[in-house]
Amino acid sequence: MRRGFRLCVCLLLLTLVTGCWNRRELNELGIQMGTAIDKIGDEYQVAVQVVVPGEVSARLNSGRSPVTLYKASAPTIFEAFRKLTETSPRKIYSAHIRVLIIGESLAKEGIGTTLDLLSRNPEARTDYYVMVSRGMAEEVLKVMTSLEKIPAHNLFYSLDTASKTWAPTTTVTMDEVILQLVTEGLNPVLPGVDVFGNSVMGDSKSNVDKIENDAWLQTAGLAVFDKDKLVGWLNENDSKGYNYIRNNVKSTVGHLKCPEGGLLALETLRTDTDIKVSFEQGEPVILLRIINESNIGEVECKIDIKKPETIVWIEREIETKLRQLLQQTIQKVKSKYNVDIFGFGQAVYKKDPKAWKKLKADWKERFPRLQVNYDIDITIRRTGTTNNSFENNIKE
Amino acid sequence: MDTSAASKPQYALSAGLGLNIEEIQARFGCSQDLVVKEMSFGSIDIALVYIEGLVDTYVLNQSIIAALLSDDKRSADAPSGNLLFFLKEDVLSVGDIGLLKEMDSLFDSVLSGDVVLLADGYAEALHIGAAGWEDRNVSEPTSQTVVRGPMEAFTENLRTNTALIRRKIKDPRLWLEGRQIGTVTKTNVAVMYMKQIAQESLVQEVFSRLDQIRIDSILESGYIEEFIQDKTLTPFPTVYNSERPDTIAAGLLEGKVAIVIDGTPFVLLVPALFVQFFQSAEDYYQRADVSTLLRMMRFMAFFITMLSPSLYIAVTTFHQEMLPTNLLINLAAQREGVPFPAFVEALLMEVTFEILREAGVRMPKTVGQAVSIVGTLVIGQSAVEAGIVSAVMVIIVAITAISSFVIPAAGMSISVRMIRFILMGLAASFGLIGILVGMLLLIIHLSCLRSFGVPYLSSLSPFHGRDQKDTLFRLPWPRMTTRPMSTAKENLWRQPRTSKPKPKT
Repeated sequence: MRRGFRLCVCLLLLTLVTGCWNRRELNELGIQMGTAIDKIGDEYQVAVQVVVPGEVSARLNSGRSPVTLYKASAPTIFEAFRKLTETSPRKIYSAHIRVLIIGESLAKEGIGTTLDLLSRNPEARTDYYVMVSRGMAEEVLKVMTSLEKIPAHNLFYSLDTASKTWAPTTTVTMDEVILQLVTEGLNPVLPGVDVFGNSVMGDSKSNVDKIENDAWLQTAGLAVFDKDKLVGWLNENDSKGYNYIRNNVKSTVGHLKCPEGGLLALETLRTDTDIKVSFEQGEPVILLRIINESNIGEVECKIDIKKPETIVWIEREIETKLRQLLQQTIQKVKSKYNVDIFGFGQAVYKKDPKAWKKLKADWKERFPRLQVNYDIDITIRRTGTTNNSFENNIKE
Repeated sequence: MDTSAASKPQYALSAGLGLNIEEIQARFGCSQDLVVKEMSFGSIDIALVYIEGLVDTYVLNQSIIAALLSDDKRSADAPSGNLLFFLKEDVLSVGDIGLLKEMDSLFDSVLSGDVVLLADGYAEALHIGAAGWEDRNVSEPTSQTVVRGPMEAFTENLRTNTALIRRKIKDPRLWLEGRQIGTVTKTNVAVMYMKQIAQESLVQEVFSRLDQIRIDSILESGYIEEFIQDKTLTPFPTVYNSERPDTIAAGLLEGKVAIVIDGTPFVLLVPALFVQFFQSAEDYYQRADVSTLLRMMRFMAFFITMLSPSLYIAVTTFHQEMLPTNLLINLAAQREGVPFPAFVEALLMEVTFEILREAGVRMPKTVGQAVSIVGTLVIGQSAVEAGIVSAVMVIIVAITAISSFVIPAAGMSISVRMIRFILMGLAASFGLIGILVGMLLLIIHLSCLRSFGVPYLSSLSPFHGRDQKDTLFRLPWPRMTTRPMSTAKENLWRQPRTSKPKPKT
């Protein structure tokens, strides 16, 4: 009994020995929401957007900025991160990071080394979005946003929402970037972001005082990488084509020209792309199989959609248009960048690893003359809550 | 007379009435409530000895004194033989009459409310049962209330209590065996069980444990509970108690043994199982599906009470990455300016709550109201407004408190509240790992516990498939075909399997 008691006391005292190791109170944390990494000269500059919790909460709000920015430069990123404590009163806590923005100049030099630290860091999850800024990455974190108080959140959610409903946009999380970098026959593509409007006004609270903000953040095309180096950008149309091929499109809206003039808008409900590979005399041939289901969303022309023939016509039109889009995109990437961002090489590898081994060495030469065929299957499901537009019946 | 003689247990009465009376008065120290009424019956001097307040004055006057004084009996030919026999057989109109020869048993009788009749020339006395004192009526239960179900509770009177149980179970197999425990208080204890349902070994075990008690006083069932429980070093109650006759009757029918103690409305029931403390009498009176849901909610409440403060501490000080971002920012905003670490904050609030609760229980009812108002105001608002604690901590404490009241058995909710503090300490030192280890130790401890030889976690571990119908779930009564395996192995069947009633077609 006495011994048992002593043992208990010893065990209880042992719990105190830990000294609350690794314990961090919530109000000792600088919760990092966004990171921007630039390269200035030989040094990396790290800028972090840290939440000021009191300002975000509706109750305690005193009118100051909801986030603050700390930055530091050092030869390595890790050092730069630690150097942040020179200015930050709290240790930067990176587990809740939402976005990582890489400066264009750094991206041109290569992002591989940058990503190493971030993937090595045990604290952060690798589910944040990575994007490339059109200028200095730091600038992106200095824009106040109104609907989401935290700009990094704003960026995260606008990218997230757009990627689900708008074909030219896609999201890439940290682990996907690394996966794309190490996958054979595939090169990474990251979404671009830029500050629009009057960027000088962006970092002041007055930016969100008005209905229309002076400066705002917007996605800006897709950045094409050759291995880990930025080589160029895709415009809106090419981005759309890229996302169709990579099967990134969840839902989007597109339009057609009617035969008698005017436009017809269609909403894509579901779309699925399959990259199939076959070999013709040892040469790989790509077949893009796209199954797409759409609704008619807007009719701005005189057309009788009650007729089944019209629907068939529309289906055929979309098919042609989509094929043209894909062809253009592939052609442009082939001729301008010559980088296999579509993962055709990966598809070949999956189909026939042995063949890929031989093809791999001169894939750069083969890619531009790679034959791509299309098999597009479009179905129009519904026409919305009406059939023919009432526009046709407007009294003259 | 010699004092050592007085302490001898077997001290015979003397034949002289005067001597006996002197002796009695000497032993009672001439206490004022001891009444010695001397009178004569025929030619013989007799005396009635009783304690005022313990005897029913109506019985005393009508059945004893009036009978003794009535002329026809007195004039009847004077007892040729034994006067005491004559009185017992022919005069006194009271049922419970007996002879006693020792001074000590005379004291026992007098102290338990009998009237003792002494007669000159006899070294014997009659004890006449006339016990009757002011009692509380059978009233509504205060600690285990139900919406639907019997509204009667045990009282402080042993006989009333055993009668309340008997009225529920009209079967001669309900056996009752008495004991007197407490060398000074001589408290009557009745052990009740269903012969043929309760296991013989269990009944023997109860008696052997009761017989080992050598304490001077038993004032409440808690005394007995601590003597007969299997293991003292545990926060969990291993003896069930209830003030509801229906609960006790249900226990008896499951083969358990009830221990009724004079002077308290709380009747003990053994063996007690862990799940039993989460079951309310009402579970059996309302629809099975409702009861099942409520039971699950109680188990949930058990975990909330036990874990919510420690989880809060662990997650906010060690595992911030586990919180959704918006929640984290929200919590961080509330903690801005709070001067204490989360653990101290939690401890502060939990202790304050415990103090308030205790104050509310002990205070006179009228003051209790005031205490609770002050408490809510102080804790709920001022503390948060002053920035001493964060608002979310108040929410956590409130949830913990309310959940602890959901557990129907007070004994269990107190143990959980104790364990909560240990878990909070573990959470503050080791985070979730600490809580996990704490929970593992708890489960190991629970599996080691036994109540009168029955594993405490039984029907869950060891697993009895049949008993699952009344553990976490409660099946409808037509499906409750068997009694629990743990206590009624030999007489398992409660009812034959029946099919559902259907309308005639």
